[in-house]
Amino acid sequence: MKNISMDREKISTILYPLMFGVFVIAMWQSEALHFLMGADTFTLPLPTRIFTILTENLPKVLLNTKATLMVAVGGLVLGSLLGYLLAIIASTFPKWGMGGLSVVSAFNAVPIIAIAPILNNLTKDFSRDPNIRSMLAKTLVVMITCTVSMSVNAYRGFTELKPFSEDLMHSLAANKWTIFTKLKVPNSVPYIFTALRVSVPASIISAMVSEYFAEYIIGVGRMIRENIVLAQYATAWAYIAAAFVIGITMYVLLLIFEGICMKGRRA
Amino acid sequence: MTRANKEKLTDIMVILVWVAGLIILWEIGATIIAQTKRTPANVLPHLSQIIESVFSDKMVSNKQTAWQIVISNAGITLWRAGLGFLIGVLTGFLLALFMRYFKAVEKTAFPYLMMIQMIPILGMAPIVLAITKDINKSRIMIAAILTFYPVATNTLAGLKSVEKEKLDLMHSLAASNWHIYTKLLLPSCVPYLFTGLKIAAPMAITASILVDTLQGSGGLGTMLSQSLKHAISIYVFWQIVFVSAFIGILSYKLMSVIEKLYSPHEKAKAAKS
Amino acid sequence: MKVIKKMSMTMALIAASATAAFASGQQAEEISYYEPGASIESIVVDAAGKGQVGNWGLGNEYEVQALLTKYGQPTTYLSQAFDMDGFDDDSILLASAMTYNELGLVKNSYDGGYSYGEGVSYIDMNDEGVAMLEDNLFTTAAFAAENPETVKAFIYASMKGWAYACENPEEAAEIVFNYGSSVSPEHQAYMAEQVKKLVETDTMGNMVRDYGKMDEAAMAQTLELAKTYIKLEDSVAASALEAMSLEDVMDASYWEMAMGSSGAFSPEKSEVSIQLKWLPQSQFMGYYVALDKGFYEEVGLSVNIIPGGGDIGETTAVYTGQVDFGVTWVSNLIAANAGGMGLLEVAQVYQRSGLVLVYKTN
Repeated sequence: MKNISMDREKISTILYPLMFGVFVIAMWQSEALHFLMGADTFTLPLPTRIFTILTENLPKVLLNTKATLMVAVGGLVLGSLLGYLLAIIASTFPKWGMGGLSVVSAFNAVPIIAIAPILNNLTKDFSRDPNIRSMLAKTLVVMITCTVSMSVNAYRGFTELKPFSEDLMHSLAANKWTIFTKLKVPNSVPYIFTALRVSVPASIISAMVSEYFAEYIIGVGRMIRENIVLAQYATAWAYIAAAFVIGITMYVLLLIFEGICMKGRRA
Repeated sequence: MTRANKEKLTDIMVILVWVAGLIILWEIGATIIAQTKRTPANVLPHLSQIIESVFSDKMVSNKQTAWQIVISNAGITLWRAGLGFLIGVLTGFLLALFMRYFKAVEKTAFPYLMMIQMIPILGMAPIVLAITKDINKSRIMIAAILTFYPVATNTLAGLKSVEKEKLDLMHSLAASNWHIYTKLLLPSCVPYLFTGLKIAAPMAITASILVDTLQGSGGLGTMLSQSLKHAISIYVFWQIVFVSAFIGILSYKLMSVIEKLYSPHEKAKAAKS
Repeated sequence: MKVIKKMSMTMALIAASATAAFASGQQAEEISYYEPGASIESIVVDAAGKGQVGNWGLGNEYEVQALLTKYGQPTTYLSQAFDMDGFDDDSILLASAMTYNELGLVKNSYDGGYSYGEGVSYIDMNDEGVAMLEDNLFTTAAFAAENPETVKAFIYASMKGWAYACENPEEAAEIVFNYGSSVSPEHQAYMAEQVKKLVETDTMGNMVRDYGKMDEAAMAQTLELAKTYIKLEDSVAASALEAMSLEDVMDASYWEMAMGSSGAFSPEKSEVSIQLKWLPQSQFMGYYVALDKGFYEEVGLSVNIIPGGGDIGETTAVYTGQVDFGVTWVSNLIAANAGGMGLLEVAQVYQRSGLVLVYKTN
């Protein structure tokens, strides 16, 4: 009996949003959505049209998607690793670390559109190939966005331990390394995922914005901009759809990964 | 001197040392750039040059010095960000209540809330413009859309954090729905709401600067791109970098202050969430 | 596995970048620029061969691509930022510049300038036969059909403004400056002088006195180049572009009637707005002069000038009905109409291309 209701619960979690999605797309295709919002099929093209453009230009869309994905993932990985490292250092010297982290988090308040041009200029000497040096500039922008949320969250993971757990470890004569690997690192896992849930969407958005300023013309964000300026909304929407797919895929992968990691912990 | 005061003083000291470290790093970079680049001010000027430009009374555009331009446009951006933030907070909060009340709404809406964040602003902008027919309304709406997600998710988490025992107790006392909300659910979600607000406030500002660039007619973002284009002094750009960071941090602090004013007894709890 | 390898590579790259930044100080390698007398072909071939031709993209690249094609080069280019830093630091050898804007910044030494003076030279798109027309005046075909008197009145007063501005560029620059400019006064004055040249000279170098005239030959060349170089991924829009004729983008009759009139109109809509392509600067001095001198009032119009300069283009703003008139480049209007916006050019203010490719000389 309980199993069936559990299943029903699970099914509705997937079914409701799915039904809603189908409903919205149906409204969109039938132009009912346009009627409700006061939009027109020019600025909000029909799904079939967007899909046609996507399929007709698949190689080009994939090329740009790949470029954006590399920047987003590269920056996300580097930023998260750096953030975790900073958190380790900060938690080892808590007195100095906490202050350092609050200074670091100030970087998040600088808008990406200000950071991107600065990094572009600073990385000019890195390579003679504009594609490579603008990749680096873009990756660094994403890295900065991701470092902050990881360092702040991981720091909390290292410091907000269960009451007396550290004392217990001490009383068992565990050394600092053991406490770190057996207690602090496992404790930080949920916090890592909290950080990643913020970082994953942020990495894609910042990758796209940094593409606006990059020297080498490539990427989903840049294509959206090019096409909007040229008033090619249907094509711009095809790239928006591509950006959307990147975002959703990365987020779902994260959720699956989180599910696997957290399940192991609970058991 | 009390112990708490002493601790606060060391905290400030620590931050000052860190800031000093960053300044030294910046200056080393600026010195290298100054020796290798033809126009170092465009790449990385000395901090002293930026500070100097703040106090310079040279008119860089009509009747305005660099600092006056930055400040007047910061006002425009802040106004839009603030309005968008308020709208976003209100809708986010209401939606969270709605989702708490109707399970089906939560299940349906929750994944889409996240997905909306994945639509690039630039793609969203023309549609919002086509609907509102006014660029400034569009800017405010976009700022609202971007801020309401953290508010909605955090508030919902707060509403759900209420222990089942407490809820059962209220029910067994035959409390009305109204009572349950005002006496139990809403108070317990306040710390969570503030967590959301603290994320959303700086976000509203950075988003607002980004949507400034959609069209002219003022705002920090507009001036930022104009300065990057060298139509006005490049120091306008450098000032905006610092001013925008400062405003962002200030908005975060403002939320913390409001939080403390609102719930001094919940201070400890809130700090943890 | 592959991902991990890529990751470690990127990390190595970043570590290397720090050292590279330091090493660059010692590089000090002498880059040789072009001889003052070098042929245009040799310069284009050299810069394109090194992959160091720059343009802003976003619909501004077609003339450069036509020039590259003319000299048998591939049509790829580097994305040039808002500024001329790329040109300054030699990552771009042949950089795009507007005569009235970037070229002035490169040459002059006022605030924001790079003070190259006579150390630079440039390739003019008009001389190379690849010119496309830029700043025009447009509205939607629907608006023009419904409000012909308003359109005529607006053209009449605006062109009167342009005539006055070209007669008195210094005063015009000052007027623009007082309407909330974000440009330094020195650059504003320089810009006014240069814009005057674009408004009063055609692609062949002949003097033009009919402000706003639509030169059929230059328009036809613009459309021709647009058809060749505007690449649209949307097949529907691409075939619309292929089939496009001049009648689909312009209608000279409003301008002809306006200029032939006595200056008395009965506008259907008297409160109108115009969306500029960028922030207030002398590029648009004619409109500001018309407003300031009361030319719009004389024809019964109350005009609101809206600055542009962002990602929501002027074409979109006019199309959505947010504004009534707009200033854009002819190529942008062509692309927009290929997408189905139904815009209509009613006057052509700039008679020749203001785009040049600037290079440093030894």
